[in-house]
Amino acid sequence: MAKWDYDGPILEIDQLSISFFTRAGEIPAVMDFSCTVMPGEAMGLVGESGCGKSTVALGVMQDLGVNGKVVGGTIKFKGRDLSLMSPEELRDLRGNEIAMIYQEPMASLNPAMKVGKQLMEVPMIHEGVSKQQAWDMARQVIEDVRLPDPDRIMRAFPHQLSGGQQQRIVIAMALMSKPSLLILDEPTTALDVTVEAGIVELVKELGVKYGTSMLFISHNLGLILETCDRICVMYSGEAVETGSIKDVFDKMRHPYTQALFRSIPLPGADKNSRPLVAIPGNFPLPHERPPGCNFGPRCDYYEEGRCNKGDIRMAPITGDTRHDSRCLRLNEIDWNARVAAAATFEKTPIGEVVLKVDNLKKYYEVAANAIFGGGEKRVVKANETLSFEAREAETLAIVGESGCGKSTLAKVLMGLETATSGSVMLNGKEISQVDINDRSTRDVASIQMVFQNPFDTLNPSHKIGKQIIRVLEIFRVGENEADREEKMLELLDLVKLPRQFADRMPRQLSGGQKQRVGIARAFAGAPQIVVADEPVSALDVSVQAAVTDLLMEIQRNAKTTLLFISHDLSIVRYLSDRVMVMYLGHVVEMGTTDQVFSPPYHPYTEALLSAVPIADTSVVKKHIVLDGDIPSAVNPPPGCPFQTRCMHKVNVPGGLCDTEVPPMRDLVDGHQIKCHLSQAWLDQMEPVIQIAAE
Amino acid sequence: MEPLSSIQIIGQILSQFLPVWIGLAAIFAVSIATKGRTGLYGKLFDSPVGMIGFGLVMFWILTALMAPLIATFEPLVQLSGMKNKLPGTPVPSDITAAVPYYLLGGDNLARDVFSRMIWGSQTVMKIAPSATLFAFMVGVTLGLPAGYITGKLDTFLSFLANLVLAFPVILLFYLLVTPEIRMAGTEITLWGGSKWITSIPNIMAAVLFLFPIVFFVVLFQSRFFTVPGKRNLYIGITLLIGLWAYSGLAFNADPVGIWGMDPNLLNIFVSVVFVNSPTVFRIVRGLTMDIKTRDYVAAAQTRGEGVWYIMLWEILPNARGPLIVDFCLRIGYTSILLGTLGFFGLGVSPESPDWGMTINEGRKLLSIFPHPALPPALALMSLVLGLNLLADGLREQSLKD
Repeated sequence: MAKWDYDGPILEIDQLSISFFTRAGEIPAVMDFSCTVMPGEAMGLVGESGCGKSTVALGVMQDLGVNGKVVGGTIKFKGRDLSLMSPEELRDLRGNEIAMIYQEPMASLNPAMKVGKQLMEVPMIHEGVSKQQAWDMARQVIEDVRLPDPDRIMRAFPHQLSGGQQQRIVIAMALMSKPSLLILDEPTTALDVTVEAGIVELVKELGVKYGTSMLFISHNLGLILETCDRICVMYSGEAVETGSIKDVFDKMRHPYTQALFRSIPLPGADKNSRPLVAIPGNFPLPHERPPGCNFGPRCDYYEEGRCNKGDIRMAPITGDTRHDSRCLRLNEIDWNARVAAAATFEKTPIGEVVLKVDNLKKYYEVAANAIFGGGEKRVVKANETLSFEAREAETLAIVGESGCGKSTLAKVLMGLETATSGSVMLNGKEISQVDINDRSTRDVASIQMVFQNPFDTLNPSHKIGKQIIRVLEIFRVGENEADREEKMLELLDLVKLPRQFADRMPRQLSGGQKQRVGIARAFAGAPQIVVADEPVSALDVSVQAAVTDLLMEIQRNAKTTLLFISHDLSIVRYLSDRVMVMYLGHVVEMGTTDQVFSPPYHPYTEALLSAVPIADTSVVKKHIVLDGDIPSAVNPPPGCPFQTRCMHKVNVPGGLCDTEVPPMRDLVDGHQIKCHLSQAWLDQMEPVIQIAAE
Repeated sequence: MEPLSSIQIIGQILSQFLPVWIGLAAIFAVSIATKGRTGLYGKLFDSPVGMIGFGLVMFWILTALMAPLIATFEPLVQLSGMKNKLPGTPVPSDITAAVPYYLLGGDNLARDVFSRMIWGSQTVMKIAPSATLFAFMVGVTLGLPAGYITGKLDTFLSFLANLVLAFPVILLFYLLVTPEIRMAGTEITLWGGSKWITSIPNIMAAVLFLFPIVFFVVLFQSRFFTVPGKRNLYIGITLLIGLWAYSGLAFNADPVGIWGMDPNLLNIFVSVVFVNSPTVFRIVRGLTMDIKTRDYVAAAQTRGEGVWYIMLWEILPNARGPLIVDFCLRIGYTSILLGTLGFFGLGVSPESPDWGMTINEGRKLLSIFPHPALPPALALMSLVLGLNLLADGLREQSLKD
């Protein structure tokens, strides 16, 4: 089937409904969904997990599996109804006219086939070109996605490439056949922020160059703002608001969209003076959606007897073009009303030094051959000369991407590993060489951890209450079992979970609730220090705010020191007092939040700030995209760890960056930077993020 | 009396199984009625494959339990004139019996084939599940530390497991069961005057039977060391029952005389445990390596839990799905293995109604009289099939969650 020309919209979805049929009956996944994508337009589909955005994409691909079925509406691609096409025609269409890019690049590539061969397959199957032509086309497209040394990449197997390179190959493969429509399903979620920025820029450029229409699925509003022309916000299987980026971001006309924006930390939010407003309640499960408006039970503007009565249709907004909202009270709500000021808090005074880390080093030795022990031993330098202090009631954020050594640092603090050299003082007591099994119960209870993945943090085989009681037993809290039972219930109160949850199994809880239990567990032994390893990054946006606020509240009351590990600079800016930026085992910059977020920056901090997408149209960012990937800690570059990707390297005379690790320099008031740049250069740096005058 | 026709034979056999039918109907009725509340077991009744498997397995379990009600003759009764008689032959008129027929004919020693098949199910049901359970105790107790601690311990244990796996199973059995090996060793007089020979199978029994005791002691110690009262109670009970059974089973020197095992049976039992545990070891080791990377294991580590608590209470419960499936399959393999052993004459005792041995005896006259060999063969097949289907059903249902 040859590609056919069509003048109208590339994709027209009209009142689409998709259901999955399971033993429990029909579960509607998408209801009454309409959208139109014009040629060359990029459409963003945003929503929380379970809202049906991926199902829409699979519906467009006509690949819903055995259980899924389109139960209503039509999907037209270039004017032809996809449901009327034969399986042969659809097969020809997929990969040729419609291409899809998934979240996990490694899962989309065949690990047993060389990259070049996989790319060549596309034109050979769809266009029947010769091998030589296919090779040339593949090489060309690898150059287009700006991968270095295309000939080497062509001969490489997927596992020999980094995550970012793999995702570029997947994009290259999708573009090989010059599709009219490209569907991207969370294409950068598995990647680091600075790598993500590169991919986002690439996707935008290629969209313009090839004139491809895009359907960009993401949960990240900032990313949608940077990549798309139009946006469609989904909630619980329905599109609730759709329109151009500018209309939706600046003049949102649906309570859910509004609440969503209020719950993400934008520049200007502050944990004490302007706390986030979390959306109350929980996301409804597909089989227990409320009647009428799905968002009703969580909505501030809910009106009994009206919002819960009958289906609500999308309605156009007067005065705007192609801007629709699914709200009955569209014209009654005062959309510009200020948020009711949430409770503000006094800043808690920072106390004494609790934790002092001095020149901490952690090296791992990796034997080349595990069984016979022969061969050369390689050293992984996970942490290099870390020095910092953390005080009582202080939040110290540790920022860095994968491989920066933040997890190793956490392990050394917890006593799961012992340091190679240097010291860690907890309340003036040296613990860097003390394994967790040799620490006193009090010391173990003093440093506790909140883990990243809510679905992994609780043992699925034991009841919630039992798991918390076990922690109390281990930390010798309470005199007897009744005592501990009572304490456990108090902990559930502390994290605002109903007491009945003690008898629940973890699988009966949502992600946010599990994370609350994880927090209760960490605070069970009255810890002085809590290491929170990306505690909210795996949660949905609307839940993130609530969990973050809970963590802050407990910290405020218990005067705990919080070491908040994250790569998300928006949330770091919102909640931390001091920030420590790490790269490849080194601390490259440290200071108070204001110092780190305003110039002078370390070049890495500068790039990181620029890379984080911010969901605010009034923010103007300096555009910095780093080349390449993070070097491996097994084989770090000589000299400055950041020199391979640094754009200011040229400004340092004498090639100092290549040969010498820069010293930690003290700027003003304890602001430290590890960089060779001269003071003059640092002084003339401009802020990365500026809020345009409104 | 006239011999029974085929239809009469089938009718009579079905009615002999009446207690089993009643039992099956009761179990299915109760299980299906309560299936919403019984977790994985309840979900089994949503899968046709699982239900068929469960039905077959339960059929043989109930048969073994109610053998005295079902069998028409004792397993060793020989009636003159019934040698190699065809199915449905009436017994001599001077014998009084509730069912005066050899329903499935007589074997070459004039015993009733049907009754021996029924009694034979008891032998299989006694050895196969308990030997598998022991193999699991050994495999789990060694596989957990190998997978969790890794390093030299893992290398060593895996090497041992590979050694055992590399050795031909039948040859190993021949070696372990030969009288020379069974008798080689010095005789030691134990308490109560009982004798014990330091032969290889006996020593292996002494080692292997220790594992369940170690397993339960460690299990309770790691969990309840924070509550000494509870800990002492549980460990006390474990040690009391465990050591009592241990003295009887491994040394045949139970002071009270309740626990004990026929030396022949002990050999078979030990050999079956010995060859099965390395495979269990490997499965447990693999599962442990996967599960130990989870955050809840890290959480246990960061609160200073001991390694055995983490292995037995954090990791093992979450490996239960694949282990239960493997347990079902392994009972099937063990049943076949027991049959094979019986077939080679390595079975329990020569005159026992064990299925494998009966097949071997029937084999000699197979071309003339197929009826003595076929019923035990079909019985073995249906039991193993049932276990396989049950495992399939469990796997299918546990994946759906």
